[in-house]
Amino acid sequence: MSSYKLNIESKDTASELLEVDGLKKTYTTRFGGNKVEALKNVNFKVERGEYVAIMGESGSGKTTLLNILAALDKPTGGKIILDGKDFSKLKESAVTKFRRDNLGFVFQEFNLLDTFTLEDNIYLPLVLAGTDYKEMHQRLMPIAERLEIDGLLKKYPYEVSGGQKQRAAVARALITEPKIILADEPTGALDSRSSDELLRLFGEINRQGQTILMVTHSVKAASTAGRVLFIKDGEVFHQMYKGEDSSQKFYQKISDTLTLLATGGDRK
Amino acid sequence: MKKSFYPGLAFQSIKKNRKIYFPYILTCIGIVMMHNIVSTLSEDELLYVERGREFVKIIMNFGKWVIAVFAFIFLFYTYSFIIRRRKKEFGLYNILGMEKKNIARILFWETLITAVISLGAGILLSIVFYKAAELCMMNMLGGDLSYDFQIFPNAILNTVEVFGILFVILFLSSVGRVKFLNSISLLKSENVGEKPPKGNIIFAIIGLVLLGMSYYAAVTIDNPIQALNEFVIAVIIVIIATYLIMISGSVVFCRLLKKNKKYYYKSNHFVSVSSMAYRMKRNGAGLASICILATMVLVTVAMTSCLYFGNEDIVNVSYPREINVSVSTNSVDGLSDDIIEPIKKEISKTVKNEGAKTDNIYEFRCAFITGLTVGDTVEVDSERVNRTGISYSDLISFQFMNLSDYNRMMGSNETLKQDEALFFSDKSYDYDRISFRGGNTFKIKTKDSMFSSHMQGLDQVVSVGVIVVPNIKEAIVGLKDMKLSSGNSMMTYYWDYFFDTGLDEDAQIELSKNIEESISEYCTKNSLYSELIDFDEAASRASNRGDIFSLCAGLFSIGIALSVVFLFGAVLIIYYKQVSEGYEDQSRFDIMQKVGMTKKEIRKSINSQLLTVFFLPLIFAGCHLIFAFPFIQKMLICFKISNTPLLIFVTALSFVIFALFYVFVYKITSNSYYHIVSDAKNKE
Repeated sequence: MSSYKLNIESKDTASELLEVDGLKKTYTTRFGGNKVEALKNVNFKVERGEYVAIMGESGSGKTTLLNILAALDKPTGGKIILDGKDFSKLKESAVTKFRRDNLGFVFQEFNLLDTFTLEDNIYLPLVLAGTDYKEMHQRLMPIAERLEIDGLLKKYPYEVSGGQKQRAAVARALITEPKIILADEPTGALDSRSSDELLRLFGEINRQGQTILMVTHSVKAASTAGRVLFIKDGEVFHQMYKGEDSSQKFYQKISDTLTLLATGGDRK
Repeated sequence: MKKSFYPGLAFQSIKKNRKIYFPYILTCIGIVMMHNIVSTLSEDELLYVERGREFVKIIMNFGKWVIAVFAFIFLFYTYSFIIRRRKKEFGLYNILGMEKKNIARILFWETLITAVISLGAGILLSIVFYKAAELCMMNMLGGDLSYDFQIFPNAILNTVEVFGILFVILFLSSVGRVKFLNSISLLKSENVGEKPPKGNIIFAIIGLVLLGMSYYAAVTIDNPIQALNEFVIAVIIVIIATYLIMISGSVVFCRLLKKNKKYYYKSNHFVSVSSMAYRMKRNGAGLASICILATMVLVTVAMTSCLYFGNEDIVNVSYPREINVSVSTNSVDGLSDDIIEPIKKEISKTVKNEGAKTDNIYEFRCAFITGLTVGDTVEVDSERVNRTGISYSDLISFQFMNLSDYNRMMGSNETLKQDEALFFSDKSYDYDRISFRGGNTFKIKTKDSMFSSHMQGLDQVVSVGVIVVPNIKEAIVGLKDMKLSSGNSMMTYYWDYFFDTGLDEDAQIELSKNIEESISEYCTKNSLYSELIDFDEAASRASNRGDIFSLCAGLFSIGIALSVVFLFGAVLIIYYKQVSEGYEDQSRFDIMQKVGMTKKEIRKSINSQLLTVFFLPLIFAGCHLIFAFPFIQKMLICFKISNTPLLIFVTALSFVIFALFYVFVYKITSNSYYHIVSDAKNKE
């Protein structure tokens, strides 16, 4: 296979937050020892305050990529440097702490605990980090107001709608003041109105300086981001900046690129 | 539709839900086994405990009902949680077009399969266990070993009946649960946390009141064998009260913990407290079940081991001296010196012939009559007693004793006026006079508890009261002529003459035989004696020691076997609790690991959960044990053991051993919980 390497280099290295360098992930099937390359060679950088969407078809490796970025999985090769620290080499217990202190997560299935009220769900990462109740409460109030869930805090997940659950999950990701928020198909389980609402929120949070990395296959979701990376066959295949484009125009561009990828876009 | 459709579907769904069904069926098997073993003990002839047989049977007859009540509450609770967890599945069936009627049919087959497996395996295991325990016992007691499996159809029938009814009720309740829900709520119900039951406080209060009442009943029961009915009712009420208190208490407890923000929002409490609150009712029920089984184990072990280690006491109380001569006569004249002295001489002669002495003599004469106390009046007329309705706990066996005998026994110098008496009984008596209807009235000079354990052990059925009077013959005027409907005199008379010899045990046995012979000979030679004397016996302590030991050892083995079974039940319930909660918490810990919980923190959180509730069943069991203590004590007095220090020691020791065992089991099972919850991540 020819290796066409896209040169995606950021111009300003000082504002770099995340650097992914030559990332590889090979799975070995249990029987027979067949090797499957989920990620071949992934390189990209994310700057502080950026809002990046990663797109790709099912099986393109984007979930594997996100799992590795989330430190839930270990890469076979390559480096991931977050804020100057290579966390792919950390030990199990250190990784968890690292994840808690630096990363915020928003999942497709919300992953709220049904044993907790929304409030306690949001507190969870802080409680695990040993934060004082007073401080947690102080941190929560502005976030809850901004996400418009301040009236729902005493409710349990089964008592609120999907959009409200996802907003609580976003609050849980924000409350630790993470360096980067990793979102895995955050609109995947939401209706279109709740999706729009959530994407608007993401935009707003990003404008306030929060770095976001979102994996999605929704063109609409991707069009709200500042930059879109396309993954195919375990490699970053293409990238696009939104620049001065309107969301509509960017939507169109992404859509076109995806069509190209699916049909004739094989650059082999 | 094919006939086998529903059974097949039921079988499939049990298999699919094996994670929750497997521990459930296992506990069912355990409880069936417990019931069947107790039930078998109530049927078996128990050849190795000849003298304790009736006692064991009576206790086991009640025991099997206690276990049935326990099984009912525990399985009802457990099963309702299984149904709750599966509502989603039923909702799906419903939406896919299956009517509730058809779901009920699946439930029917599931219940049937569960019932057949639990009863089959439970009974089979109980037969095997029973035989194994019997072989151990026979081996220990040196009896004949028989390897035939004995089947007790009545016992099995009883178990099948009880659990058959139980499973029918479980089935009906599950159908009820499914019926009253629409499919949307069926689909959703799994994720909803348990809500605190309505009227929680009322349940707690009812529980406390019931517990108080039954504690009071247990403490105030005078004669355990006659009041066994009451005691069993008290036990059943204690079981119900334990559930009520544990469940409502756990709800209140969780709320309090959650309200305490400083405590709740700590990384090792946060998760454990919230999941405890999430299943607060079930948590309470599980703890209550453990507590009840723990109490059963402790009571059984404490009682039977005290019996075993105190067997020498039984010997000493029943046979206070090496040689114990007892003569009963049919008239008060038989207690006069004219009659007694020649017999004494006869005994001394025989003793001298053996080259021994009569040392340490313990001698008294008694006339006794059983009566019912009504205020300060004693009714002895059986006709009247029957009419008023007998409560055995009001009956007293009155033993009239001469002041001279008392003073000699006690080495005291009491004096009494003509109508005065000393009264000794462990039964409380509130009056300062005692009046026998149809007989005399006595002013009670002093009242006290029993002065001798031998006197106290004279009657095993009713309480004993000793009335020390200046002269028996004058004291029982009026009473001595009263007759039973059978024509026999109501009063009975006997003379006890116990002494030590300084001989070795074989010689004592020999001597007792010789004494018995010489008395018989003397009586047959003398017509006055053969008329007066009903019965005479010279028992040696040595010859009875073996019998008593084998009785105690037999009862002890039964107690140990039963405790093993109860322990097994407790272990199963702890295991069930850990495993079922583990599978439930799996996805939660998975999420928490994603959010940033380390394995170490999972461990900590599990330990915190354990420590929060860990000691509760133990504390409660200890509390039950303390209030059961007077009952155990009185039960043992019926066996002529009144060694309270020994009882306290064995009770405390069994509690400590049980606590250690409990810690051990919890540690092991919490490991399996840990593996279940931390496995979730590795599977990804």
